[in-house]
Amino acid sequence: MSTTRHHINRQRLRQARAARPEVVEIRPRPGTRGAAGPRGPRAAEEKASGPARPRPRRPWGLAALCALTVLLGAFAGWAHAEAESLRAEPALSNTALTDVARTSEVKGQVAEAVDRLFSYDHADPAAFDKAAKDLLTGKAVDQHRDLFADVRERADARKAVITTAVTETAVERIDGDRARVLVYADQSSVATAGGKAAAQQDDGVYAAAMLAVDTVHRDGRWLITSLDTFDRT
Amino acid sequence: MERPARRRVPRRLRTPYAPALVLALVAAGFAAWAGQDWYAAAHDDRAAYAVQRDRALAAGEQAVQNLNTLDHRDLDRGLDLWEASTTGELHEQLTAGRDDFAGQVKEAETVSTARVLSGAVTELDDRAGRARVLVALRVTVRAADGTRSDKDSRMLGELTRTDGRWKLSALGQAPVGGAPAG
Repeated sequence: MSTTRHHINRQRLRQARAARPEVVEIRPRPGTRGAAGPRGPRAAEEKASGPARPRPRRPWGLAALCALTVLLGAFAGWAHAEAESLRAEPALSNTALTDVARTSEVKGQVAEAVDRLFSYDHADPAAFDKAAKDLLTGKAVDQHRDLFADVRERADARKAVITTAVTETAVERIDGDRARVLVYADQSSVATAGGKAAAQQDDGVYAAAMLAVDTVHRDGRWLITSLDTFDRT
Repeated sequence: MERPARRRVPRRLRTPYAPALVLALVAAGFAAWAGQDWYAAAHDDRAAYAVQRDRALAAGEQAVQNLNTLDHRDLDRGLDLWEASTTGELHEQLTAGRDDFAGQVKEAETVSTARVLSGAVTELDDRAGRARVLVALRVTVRAADGTRSDKDSRMLGELTRTDGRWKLSALGQAPVGGAPAG
């Protein structure tokens, strides 16, 4: 790059010399200032040795400096834009797995919450209600009540104990204080009353359940805001 | 020394030097900052890891869906897709059992289609190129007599990265009532 510039400089110098052999700008100025004594000879010297030299050199340096400024500024802007676009990568906004501590915290709390929310002991319905009160918020409250309305009635009638155990959890996404977790759980129920048929039907039988849970981090806890049981629509 | 210098360089040419230099230095400062910021963003390990996570999940969901989709009228294409979606042991099993399986499906005249309900990565080893995914799946099977049945499956898949692409190396359903919650 510098060689090209030098080459152009040289060419222009040559052209300037050919076109205007004498420097007009430098000479008249000292005259206007009045201090003619030392300047006269100097101006003459310059004219003799290389008349066009001092003048074109300086503007070129300045131009180069300006060009450099523009280039550096352009690079700064471009690099900044590149960095921003890299940070805008959609994968980055999801910190599932990349934030190890938060990921395992969500997994642990959601697994515990699902265990409690989907287990029901006819002898201790208060525990079930407390779980719903502690762990649910927003529309999850209604969803949970609707899901369990029938189950609860039947369990009370048959004096059943429903136990849910989460077997697998995976965090789909964590975006700030919101997270979505996919949960696999096994459900079993044991009836202590009711017909023999009912007992046979239920006892020791595990039902496979899967659900996606939306959570929000509030007051140091992950609360469930929505339960998605993938109902057929 | 100053006076002759001033004389040689007319003021109108000399004056903008200092501001120009200052501007250039400021620009250089910005450029240096932006450059290193860009470098940092481009070499962010978490970003690379997040990208791999999303790629593994996308490939995993697609592969699980592929392996649960099969049309008895277009067996070859379906089974080719199965083989293209898998690697390692699973790939070998599918290749070995291909003819038998094709015969069974042809006889049963079933059409299976699958839809991924939800999926997530549970483990990702970016260096080793291994990942584990959960995929909640709904498979619809249409039998020869036209009856349709839906079945939800809790799939567990293992992925291995080969030549930069994630492929399924193991696939199964989460066991029911087996292992206790861990």
